[in-house]
Amino acid sequence: MSEKTQAYGIDLRAVAPHLLLPLAILGVVAVFAMLQPAMLSADNAVNIMKQSSLFFFVACAQLVVIITRGFDLSVGATVSLVSVASSMAMTALLPSIGAGASIFVGVVLGLLIGAAIGAVNGALVAYGRINPFVVTLATMSVFTGVATTISGGFPIFNLPDAFTFAFNQMTILLLPIPLVIAGLVAFALHFSLTRTVHGRVLYVLGDSNEVAHVGGRRVKEHLFLAYVTSGVLASVAGLLMTAQTGSGEPNLGTSLVLSSIAAAVIGGASLRGGTGGISAPVYGSLLIVCLSIGMNLQQINGSLQPVVIGAILVFGAALDAYRTKSR
Amino acid sequence: MTAIAASQQSRLGRVMKAIGILPVVLIITCILLALYEPRFLRTSNLINVLRNASFLAIISAGQMLVIIVGGFDISVGAIVALTSVSTALSMVGLSTIGIESAPLIVLLGCLAGLVPALVVGIVNGFFVSVMKISPFMVTIGTMTMAAGIAGYVTGGTPIYDMPELFTREIGRGRFLELPYIVYAAAIVLLALWYMQTQTRLGRYFYAVGGNEKASRLSGLNTRKYIWLAYILSALLAGIVGIFLTARVGSGEATLGSTLMLESISVAVIGGVALKGGVGRIQMVALSAIFLSVLSNGMSLARIDSKYHIIIIGLVIIIAVAAESYRENRRSRHV
Amino acid sequence: MNATSTGPGEVISPGTPLVEISHLDKSYGAFKALEDMQFELRAGEVHVLFGENGAGKSTLIQIICGVQNYDSGEYRLFGETLTGLTPAVAHEKGVSIVFQEFSLIPEMTVEENLFLGHEITGGWRLAKSAMRAKVQSVLNRLGFKLDPAARVSTLRRAHQQMVEIAKALLWDCRVLILDEPTASLTDQEAAQLFDIIEQLRDEGLGIIYVSHRMPEITRLADRITVLRDGKYITTVNQADTSEKELVQLMTGRSFDSFFPQIARNPGETVLTFEDVTLQSGHAKNLSFSVRRGEVLGFAGLAGCGKSEVLRAAFGLEKIATGRITANGVALEKHNPRKALSSRICYFPSDRSTEGLAMHQSLTFNSTIAALDDPVFSRRKTLLNRRAERGFTEKMIDKLKIRTPGLTAKADQLSGGNKQKLMIARGLSREFDVFLFDEPTVGVDIQAKLEIYDVIKTLTEEGKAVVIASSELAEVMHMSHRVIVMREGRIVGELDGEAVTESAVLSHFFDHDNKSQAEEQHAS
Repeated sequence: MSEKTQAYGIDLRAVAPHLLLPLAILGVVAVFAMLQPAMLSADNAVNIMKQSSLFFFVACAQLVVIITRGFDLSVGATVSLVSVASSMAMTALLPSIGAGASIFVGVVLGLLIGAAIGAVNGALVAYGRINPFVVTLATMSVFTGVATTISGGFPIFNLPDAFTFAFNQMTILLLPIPLVIAGLVAFALHFSLTRTVHGRVLYVLGDSNEVAHVGGRRVKEHLFLAYVTSGVLASVAGLLMTAQTGSGEPNLGTSLVLSSIAAAVIGGASLRGGTGGISAPVYGSLLIVCLSIGMNLQQINGSLQPVVIGAILVFGAALDAYRTKSR
Repeated sequence: MTAIAASQQSRLGRVMKAIGILPVVLIITCILLALYEPRFLRTSNLINVLRNASFLAIISAGQMLVIIVGGFDISVGAIVALTSVSTALSMVGLSTIGIESAPLIVLLGCLAGLVPALVVGIVNGFFVSVMKISPFMVTIGTMTMAAGIAGYVTGGTPIYDMPELFTREIGRGRFLELPYIVYAAAIVLLALWYMQTQTRLGRYFYAVGGNEKASRLSGLNTRKYIWLAYILSALLAGIVGIFLTARVGSGEATLGSTLMLESISVAVIGGVALKGGVGRIQMVALSAIFLSVLSNGMSLARIDSKYHIIIIGLVIIIAVAAESYRENRRSRHV
Repeated sequence: MNATSTGPGEVISPGTPLVEISHLDKSYGAFKALEDMQFELRAGEVHVLFGENGAGKSTLIQIICGVQNYDSGEYRLFGETLTGLTPAVAHEKGVSIVFQEFSLIPEMTVEENLFLGHEITGGWRLAKSAMRAKVQSVLNRLGFKLDPAARVSTLRRAHQQMVEIAKALLWDCRVLILDEPTASLTDQEAAQLFDIIEQLRDEGLGIIYVSHRMPEITRLADRITVLRDGKYITTVNQADTSEKELVQLMTGRSFDSFFPQIARNPGETVLTFEDVTLQSGHAKNLSFSVRRGEVLGFAGLAGCGKSEVLRAAFGLEKIATGRITANGVALEKHNPRKALSSRICYFPSDRSTEGLAMHQSLTFNSTIAALDDPVFSRRKTLLNRRAERGFTEKMIDKLKIRTPGLTAKADQLSGGNKQKLMIARGLSREFDVFLFDEPTVGVDIQAKLEIYDVIKTLTEEGKAVVIASSELAEVMHMSHRVIVMREGRIVGELDGEAVTESAVLSHFFDHDNKSQAEEQHAS
C-alpha cells in the first residue's frame, strides 16, 4: 500500500522548495565572488564558517521556541549577560585557581545562566500562560539591564588566553572549533527533534496545544523545556562570541534578536508553529552571514546592509505565507 | 426580570473593570514619590513628566490601534528616526531652494517629513492585510530597512540648520506654560477617543481584531481597517518624530530607538490585549503617564539609569501576569 | 432604506420566486461540494433544506448570501442574475442569515454586534440613542429578554443565539436564512422562534430553514429540498411526504441496512460516574456506568451536556463533586494522560482543534497518544520510528484511509479520512473504553459506514463504547442503551427494545413546566 502511494518517483514540485535555499546561498556566494574574488579566499572561507557557526546557535535557540509557536526576544540579552558574567568569573578566578579551572567555572556559569533565563521564560510562558512575546520582551529588558549593571557598562578584558584559543582559534582537522561545536550541536538538536518523544511533542503542540493535551502529553513540561533549551543554546552562542571578541561585552547580543528570528524563518520555520527542522538555522545563518560578509567585502555602506537584510526578511516571510497558504 | 437585575450588577462590575487598578497604582506611585522626594511636585518637573508622557502617549496610541486589529508594529521606533531625518532634510532643502518664509518652510518640511512614515505605514499595512504575512516579520523587516535608510542618508552625522521657528518655538516654546507637544498629544488622544467611542471606524477596528471572520461575514472590508491601522500608527510615529526633532534641534538617525519597546510596554500595561479587539485610549494615556512618572521617580531617587530597564521589565511582567490571572479566573467562572 | 424598485421592505405577492438556482457547481480543490444544484425559494414560504452533515447545505446557503462564490451555473436573486455577490451586497438587497457558527464579536456588546457593519450615524457620529431604540423594538417584537449593553462573551449560548437571530431581523429583509437556529435553544425559546418565523412568512418573506429535526420540519415547512453528497435529490411539499420517506431520501437507503447489527454481550463494568457535577455547570448529578461489550449512547440537543460528559470521563472537564471510577480505581485529579493510562480513549468532535495536528504527518497523528508505549519508544524518550511507520501503514490498510502517502499532512485528507486517522490513534495501544463524541460529523456516507464498522468490531471484541451524537438516528441505531440528557441532567435511560424514536424524543422536549421554572430560577 505504502509502496504504491509513495512510488511517485521524484516529484519536482516537492523537491524544489528544498533546493531553493541552498541555491540562493550558492547564488549569493557566486555573485559576490564575481565582484570580489576575495570572497573565495581561504581566509574568507574560514571567516564565513566561523561567523555562521556563531550565528547558528542563536538561530537554533530561536528555532526551538518557534516550533512551539513562540518567540524568544531574550536571546540577545542572554548572550550579553553570559558574556559579561562568565568573563567576570574567569578574570576574577584566574589568579587564584589558574586558567583551566577558571575557564571551566566560567563556562559552566554561562551555561547555567542560559538555563536559568530559559527557565524563567519557560515558567512564565508555560505555567503562567502569558504571551511569549511579552514575557521575553520583559526578560530581555531585565537581563540586558542586569548585564549592563554588573559590568558597569564597560567591556571586561584580560580573559585567559586559553579561553579564546580553545573556543575560537583552535582547529580540529583544519576545521575551526566553533564549526565543530556547531556540528555537534546541530547533530544533537536534529536527533532530539526527530528521534525523541520530546521533539515530536514540540511539533505537535506547536500545531495545536489541545491536540497534544488530548494525546496525553505533558504539554507544559515540554514547553518549559523548550525555553530552557533555547536559553542554553543562546548561552553557548554567548560563550563562543565572547571568545571571538576576546572580551566580555555588555551589548554583545543586542543586534542578534531580530536577525536570529529572521534566520530561522528564512530557513523555513514558520511563525505559525509546528514546522522547521535543523536545516532552517543552518541555511538561514549561512545565507545571512554570506550576504553580510559579501557586502562588507564589496564595501557597501554599513547603513545600507540592514536594508538588504530587511528586504530579504519580508521576502522570506512572504514566501512562508505562500507556503502555508498552499498547505 | 432576573436578567435585568443581573445586568445592573454587572454594570457595577463593568465600572470597576473600566477603572481597573492602573489609576490606583498611578495615584499611589505619585503620592509615595511626592512624600519621598518633594522635588517631584515642582512645576518644572511635572511639566517634564508631562512632556515625556505626551511623546509616549502619541506613539503608543498608534501601537494600540495596531494591536487592537490583532497585530504589532515593531517599526515605530525606526519611523521616528526616519521622519526626523526626512523632516530635517526637507527643511534644509526648502531653505536652499530659496524659500524665505520660515512658517512655510516649517509647514512644508513637516508635511514632506511625514511622507516616508506614510510610505512605511502603507507597506506594513499592505503586507499584513493583503499578503497575510505575520505582522511581526513585516514590521521587523521595515524597521531594519527604515533604520538603515535613515542611517545611510545622514551618514551618521546629525542634520542641523533648521529654522529657529522649528527648533526654538515648536521644540522648546510654550503656550500657556505647557510645551506644544502636550497640546498635540491632547488633540491626538481626544480624536482617538472620539473615534473609538463615537464613530463606526472605531467599532470596526474592535470588530476586526475581535473576530475577523465574523466581521467579514457582517460585510466589513476587514483588509481596509487592518491596513488603515498600520497607516495611522506610522503617521502617529511620524508626528512624534517631528516633535522630537524639534526638541533635540537636529535630524538624527538614532532618535527614538527605545520607543518601540516603550510603546508596546505602554500598550500592554494599559490593558490592550495582544489577542486583539480590546483596548481603550484613556487607559493607554494613563499608562504612558504612569511609565513617565516611574522613570522620572527613578531619576529623582538617583537610581542608576541602568536599573530603569530592569524595573520596567518587571512592571511589564507584573502587569501581564495580573491580566492573565484575571482572565483565567474569569474564564473559570463563566 | 432607499426608494428604488428593488428595495427591501417592499410588499411582494406570495409565490414570487426570490431565489432561483440552477445547474450550480462548486468545488474545493478536488472535492465537489455542490454538483448540478437546483433550488428555488418563493415569497411567503418556509423552505427546509434537508440533508446529512456534509451534504452541501452550508455551502449552498453560503453561496446564496454571498460568502462563497460558485464555479458555474446560474443564481438569480429577486429576478436578477448575479455574479460576484458579497455579504455586504446581499445584505443590502435584503438577504439576512443566522449562521450556525456564531458570527458575533465576543468583546463587543449586544447592541454593537447587532449593528455591526450597518451602524446608524448622524454625520460622522454614531446615533446611539436611535440605535438603542431600534434594538429595543426588535427585541420586544421577538420577545427576547436581553440587555443591549451586555458584552456578548458574558452571555449564555442560548442568549448568543438570540442575538444572532435579532441581528438578522434588525433590518427589513426579504430572504431570511436560518441554519439550525434551535441548536442551543430551550423548548420554550424555540417555540417563540417558530411563532416569529410563521409571522414573518405571513408577512411575505421567503425563509430558508436548515435543520434535520423532524418535529420542527413538520411544524414549519411548506416545501422541503433534499440534498445528498452535494447533489440535488428532490423537492417535495411537506403535506405530501412522510418522515420515513424523507429519511430514506436523505440517506439513500433505509435504516435497517444502513446501520450494522452489533451483538450485545454485556460484561464487567469498566467506567462509572457517581453523582458527578462539573465545575463548569454544564452537567449535573450524573450517575451511570459503562460496561464491556455494549454501546452506550448519549442523546440530546446540542448544548445539553452530553459531550461534556465524555470530556469529563477523559479528564478534559473538571468535576466539582462526585466520583469517576475506571476499572475500580477512582480517578482523582483527572487529566487526559491519566485517562489514557486508565485505558480510556476519546475522539473529540472538533477534529481541527483537538483531534488532529493538521499540519503534521499521518504518522505523527496516529501515534501521539501512544508515545509512552514500549512499542513506539524506548524508555519513553527515544522514538522507534520504524514501529511508528509500520503501525501507520497497517492502519491505512485496515481503516482504508485514502491518502497521498505516509508523509502527507492531516490537513490534506478529507473529513472521513481525518476521522479514520483519529480512530487509528484508538488502536495504537490497548484501551478498554472508547468515547466517541459526534463520530460522524462532516463525514461522507462511505466513511460513515466504515466508522460504524469499527465501532461494531470494537464492541464485539468486548470493549466498552460510548457514543454522544446529535444525530438521533445514529445514537438510536448504534446503541444498546441510550441515556437522554436535557439541560445538563440525565432525564431518561432506555434499554434495548425500549430505544425508539418517539421514546427518545419525548425526553428531548419535556413539556411539563417544572423544568422551565428551574431554568428561570437558574438564570
